Amino acid sequence: MAPSLTRREALGGAAAAVLLASCGGGDPPPGGAPKPGSGAALFGSLLALQHAAVAAYGACAEVLRGRELAVARAIREQEDAIAGRLAVVLRGLGVAPPAGRTREEYQRTFPRLRSAADALHFADDLEQRQLRAYLEAVAEFPAAGSRATAADIGATQAAHLAAVRLLQGLPAAEGPFVTGAL
Amino acid sequence: MAERSDREVLEDLLALESRLVSAYEAALRRDAVERSLGEELLAQEREHVAALLKTLGSGADRNPRATVPSPELTGALGSRAAFARFAERLEANAVTAYAQAAASMRDPRLRQPLGSIMACEAAHRVALRDVLGERPLVV
Repeated sequence: MAPSLTRREALGGAAAAVLLASCGGGDPPPGGAPKPGSGAALFGSLLALQHAAVAAYGACAEVLRGRELAVARAIREQEDAIAGRLAVVLRGLGVAPPAGRTREEYQRTFPRLRSAADALHFADDLEQRQLRAYLEAVAEFPAAGSRATAADIGATQAAHLAAVRLLQGLPAAEGPFVTGAL
Repeated sequence: MAERSDREVLEDLLALESRLVSAYEAALRRDAVERSLGEELLAQEREHVAALLKTLGSGADRNPRATVPSPELTGALGSRAAFARFAERLEANAVTAYAQAAASMRDPRLRQPLGSIMACEAAHRVALRDVLGERPLVV
């Protein structure tokens, strides 16, 4: 297990950490003036993360082939649809959704993906971090409707993670409690 | 309709988990699921049951409303494909139930852990779709 963790840190973990940290700090904040407690800032952060995920799967697709490529494309499509859904939510809150960065700007924050294994490690780490972000949002959103949206998207991210794990020859679920026990 | 208490929601989840445990136990007995996958899914569902019982504390029904195998389960045990299809539907229901529960919990400390179990059930669903030779992601 240790070599796998080391490799993940080298390839995916560190890069994804930089990528996701930068999503919260470097992207322009949502436009407009959301009401305090509306959850708009958190939705804005999640949307920035979605934009990064769409770009990341674009990078992964460049080194994947066959079934792995088909799954990566399907995930990318769903990540893009989720971005659209979050943008609608933000507009509903009276806030202009953040636009995201250019492909080149995202590419600079990604690790160099030399093989399918590299891409799948990167995707695995990305999905783990996305899942955690949505489940933390379920705990944090003040409104039940916003929590329901985050939980629903979290279920989709969990399916993405499982699909990526299967492609790596791993069990779909890492354990009974994916991000923390009762 | 009156809003349901956290305890009532957790008891419903326990009933759902008990159905999943019963289903995987029966499938393993009847060779209706590949052994290593069935044992892995069963072990994880049992962990969920234990966690829910612990959270519910004293007075929790250890096997609520799930003692008699449903006719649907009995029918699904005829082949591995039929059982995978049946179990995939059960897991899909579990994902929906946990997502709703995580969002509705009044106690905010329960939301994230219930989401964590939801993620596990979503992974089970993907594993079963893989067994069926279907695309892993539901469009």
